[in-house]
Amino acid sequence: MPTPGQTYRFGIFAHLDTLLAAMKQLPGEGFREMEVYSPTPHHEIAHLLDRKPSPVRVFTLVGGLIGLVTGWGMTIGSTMIFPIVVGGKPVISIPPFGVVAYITTILFGTIATFIGFLVNARVPQVKVVEGYDDRLSSDHFGVLIHCHPEEVVNLEKLLKKLGAVTVTKSQGL
Amino acid sequence: MAEDYKLNYTDTDVDLLQSLKAPGKGYWILLTVLFLLICAGGAAWGVQIANGIGEAGKNNPVGWAMYITTFVFWVGIAHSGTLISAILFLFRVKWRAAVYRSAEAVTIFGLATAGLFPFIHLGRVWVAHWILPVPNFGGLWPNFRSPLAWDVLAITTYLTASTLFFTLGMMPDVAVVRDKTRGWRKKVYGLLAMGWQGSDNQWRHYTAAYVFLAALSTPLVISVHSIVSWDFAMSIVPGWHSTIFAPYFVAGAIHSGLAMVVLLLIPMRKAFKIEKYITPHHLESLAKFIIFTGLIVGFAYSIELFVAWYSGNPYEKAIFLYRMSGDYAWAFWLLITTNVFVPMLLWSKKIRTSIPWLVGICVSVEIGMWLERFVIIVTSLAHDYLPYAWGIYKPTLVDSLIVIGSFAWFFFLFMIFSKTLPVVSMWEVKEQIDPPMKSGM
Repeated sequence: MPTPGQTYRFGIFAHLDTLLAAMKQLPGEGFREMEVYSPTPHHEIAHLLDRKPSPVRVFTLVGGLIGLVTGWGMTIGSTMIFPIVVGGKPVISIPPFGVVAYITTILFGTIATFIGFLVNARVPQVKVVEGYDDRLSSDHFGVLIHCHPEEVVNLEKLLKKLGAVTVTKSQGL
Repeated sequence: MAEDYKLNYTDTDVDLLQSLKAPGKGYWILLTVLFLLICAGGAAWGVQIANGIGEAGKNNPVGWAMYITTFVFWVGIAHSGTLISAILFLFRVKWRAAVYRSAEAVTIFGLATAGLFPFIHLGRVWVAHWILPVPNFGGLWPNFRSPLAWDVLAITTYLTASTLFFTLGMMPDVAVVRDKTRGWRKKVYGLLAMGWQGSDNQWRHYTAAYVFLAALSTPLVISVHSIVSWDFAMSIVPGWHSTIFAPYFVAGAIHSGLAMVVLLLIPMRKAFKIEKYITPHHLESLAKFIIFTGLIVGFAYSIELFVAWYSGNPYEKAIFLYRMSGDYAWAFWLLITTNVFVPMLLWSKKIRTSIPWLVGICVSVEIGMWLERFVIIVTSLAHDYLPYAWGIYKPTLVDSLIVIGSFAWFFFLFMIFSKTLPVVSMWEVKEQIDPPMKSGM
């Protein structure tokens, strides 16, 4: 993950195969820290970057468990405060309360998953990263690379050589 | 699917963003007509509020009539969206990509329409808060044994999950619109895109969240309408107290929901010139699904009749005889015809690939599914255990206008959506076509 306040260059590629070739070559030239941009997710990109699995699943699990506990707690707790027999059924009726707990599990799990996505993907953001090209959401691919100031010229040349159609300056994320 | 589309990334954006261009005269005329119908429905509601719930034709014993019928109908319509977007996603059904966005919109707008009816049905809507089970308030205590309480929770959860799933799915496409527009539109879509850039980090969390939201939404397809069915089945009213209600309602919901999606996709693909994205193959796949749900619904109807006969329960038998031969027999036989027999015409490839036939059959299903809920609700209340308490419900101008207004409200929302947000998921269509390659592969 690039660090703010550092020097970055954004290489924009028109083709996926060119981008993948560049991604393979850049680490060998000493540029290991990179973030890749694409209009749609690609397994090849994810495979080359080899990141850890998303922690969103933890949010889902924790949210679901909180929902489950909330559902049971809300139903059992409220009937213990108001222990009124309805329809001759036990005050704490497991089957109907299970329905409520099932729903709250899904409700809380869903909300937690969305929050997990927002937190981890760092959205909402007011601005897009400096150097972002409008074509990246449509039909181009981008690679944002961290470099030292003395490596800038080399990196720009290398990106051009590797097939970047545009190279722009960036301050990173 | 790549061979189906024969497209590239650039064309996909250009084609699919056509729908966001300034609308023509026809659009505005239709929108105005819908708005006027909404106003008519609103005015009718005003009359009901001013004069009382008696304006809706409800009486003793038929206390649930058009409003609850239409409420169940719209919740049912909402079911296709999650089926197409979540379940077909988990099963990796490729044809879903082009149609799921509209189906999700149907879910959200269907629920937004359904949600109006409990309030309209209340009568004195300004004191709706009296029914909130806040301890020590209004003499009510929280009763989580009631299916009505489950229903409120289930539908709220369904609306929340569907809206989040819709918002998440929309984000990369809204970013495309942001990047293709200028001026105030860029600012508005920039806000809606929430800073989406399509970085690997974002996609990684996005795809994970998408799978989990789909997995969490999937059981809702089954459970929400099951819970709606229990609003009836948990009572002891003849014709309602049935264990088959949950699967029967779920199948019916999907039946009507799929038909509604087809009815919206057909004019939309023509109006926005996106026939190469929403192809005859997509419509045919949906038509095959309608055959399947029609068969399930037909099976449920026959089992319901069989149980009424085989149970030996005289009240159950009586209500089904009443449905078949009583005051609402016309509606009963019409619903059987329109929900079961008419959709079977889709077995013919010639019919299911013909747009006029498909439209006609889907309209038939919608009429049938609305009537199904009407017959279930009204006949059972009209003729329950005590003959001296029997009664008849007749629709009035007020409740009819409110129901018509609800249809206008749904289509109005859908038309606004179709002109403001991408109606086909561009990023998922792109996933199915070959990416730009220098090698030309």
